[in-house]
Amino acid sequence: MSKLMNISSAIALIKDGDAVGIGGNVLHRAPMALVREIIRQRKRDLKIIKTAGAMDVDMLCFGECVYSVDAGFISYESEFSLAEHYRKAVQGGRVKGNEHACYTVMSALRASVYGVPFMPVHGLMAGDLIEVNDYFTRIKDPFSGEPVTVVKALRPDVSIIHVQEADEQGNAVISGPKYDDVLLSKAAKKVILSAENIVDESRFRLSREKADIPHFMVSAVVHAKGGAAPCSCTDVYDIDREDIINFKALKDKEELTKYLTKYESIDRT
Amino acid sequence: MNDSSSKEFYTGYRPCDIMICAMSRLIDNDNTVFHGVSSHMPMIATLLAKATHAPYAVHLNIPGGVDPRVTALQKYTSAGSELTHGSVCDFPLSDVFDLSMRGGLDVAFLSGIQFDNKGNVNASVIGDYHKPKVRMPGGAGSAVLIPTVKRAVIWRTKHDKRTFVPKVDFVTTRGNIDKIVTPLCVFKMYKDELILDSIHPTSSIEEVAKNTGFDIRYIDLKYTPLPTEEEMRFLSVIDPQDYRNIEFGQK
Repeated sequence: MSKLMNISSAIALIKDGDAVGIGGNVLHRAPMALVREIIRQRKRDLKIIKTAGAMDVDMLCFGECVYSVDAGFISYESEFSLAEHYRKAVQGGRVKGNEHACYTVMSALRASVYGVPFMPVHGLMAGDLIEVNDYFTRIKDPFSGEPVTVVKALRPDVSIIHVQEADEQGNAVISGPKYDDVLLSKAAKKVILSAENIVDESRFRLSREKADIPHFMVSAVVHAKGGAAPCSCTDVYDIDREDIINFKALKDKEELTKYLTKYESIDRT
Repeated sequence: MNDSSSKEFYTGYRPCDIMICAMSRLIDNDNTVFHGVSSHMPMIATLLAKATHAPYAVHLNIPGGVDPRVTALQKYTSAGSELTHGSVCDFPLSDVFDLSMRGGLDVAFLSGIQFDNKGNVNASVIGDYHKPKVRMPGGAGSAVLIPTVKRAVIWRTKHDKRTFVPKVDFVTTRGNIDKIVTPLCVFKMYKDELILDSIHPTSSIEEVAKNTGFDIRYIDLKYTPLPTEEEMRFLSVIDPQDYRNIEFGQK
């Protein structure tokens, strides 16, 4: 069954208030075309889930789409400095910054993958994060009686992931680092893929290399050349420095709208 | 330890080079070593250690390329696919965390914004957690790695009284800190207290004391060894673009 659709129909699957898992890591293979469409469709109160985010989460906060962010790290790396829109939104009380370690996001996603309500995390044994956040708590190991920290499951309603290749059914290959995308795909109720190239199913049937993400977990496939830009996409393109700098210099919602309009015809073809 | 004369004598050495070499020497030949995002200095220190005294150390990173032969570092990232080039197997971040949880990770390089002399690390917020004055990027792996890795090595390119404080605003984590490397000195954890391990020859105990918010204590006072000619030669090959100086404002 073909799940190929245009980007507007795919993003229409996301409802206000949904928990949205985002693939990629910092400026690498972030699903930016899907992110831009979320902002154009004015989605609200999204609960963002990401291990380490940068421009994607920053832009969604700028676009006022976000209720909360569960993440281990939200910032550009050394060259581009801090994610100012995220930071200001949290400091201004408009976005709830649920701080995790990247690993507790993974553990919370694993809980959903395994169908259990929480997951023990050995490493989270010291510090204030356990006390101030309601998604962490200490329980008694029923076998040894020792204390163990647990993290509440994170179940994305939708995970949005950009890949290099997918077929129309949703079988997808990630070239290069996969980061936590396969985990995000298994933990979510729905998966929306954007792909640089739409390939024939025979790409997998006739090859020893099989898909990383299986079609039966995917709800929508969008053909999006440059769908991670201005972030990088392994083997296809590196970051677009100038565009990232331009984005970081935007001052208000009006300028953001202009910026998104510039991408609209590319994203929606 | 004559302050003024030593400073003049060593002006040819940059803090970034002294720090990288100090970090590199903390890696032993039989160690598994991990660095994460925004970590150019640890990434270059790890590559330097493997090129010099620790060729068999195992280089682990976020994209998961084990022992990559990096041909070109990237300025904007220490988590990109260049760290899979020439690597021998895949061991992505989730596997690195799992390894640390079961006690198998030897060294992790991490950072933060505030440290106190009890070994507490703040990478989260300035002010109240729920109504922060300043929201920081977050500790990434710190909260689970610092308590579980055998030796956490912290690097921080700011050494001032806002960074080294009597008491951190928020305890993101604490645990197995081995050393903290700064532009002025190296601290070490000794019996639950952060004490001075060595002073860079480009600095002085007076300068360290003036810029640290808690009392400086030490057992024996020594200088951090300066970069050797061999180390500087390898650094120019590994990092010809001088990304190791990014955190000091290199453009």
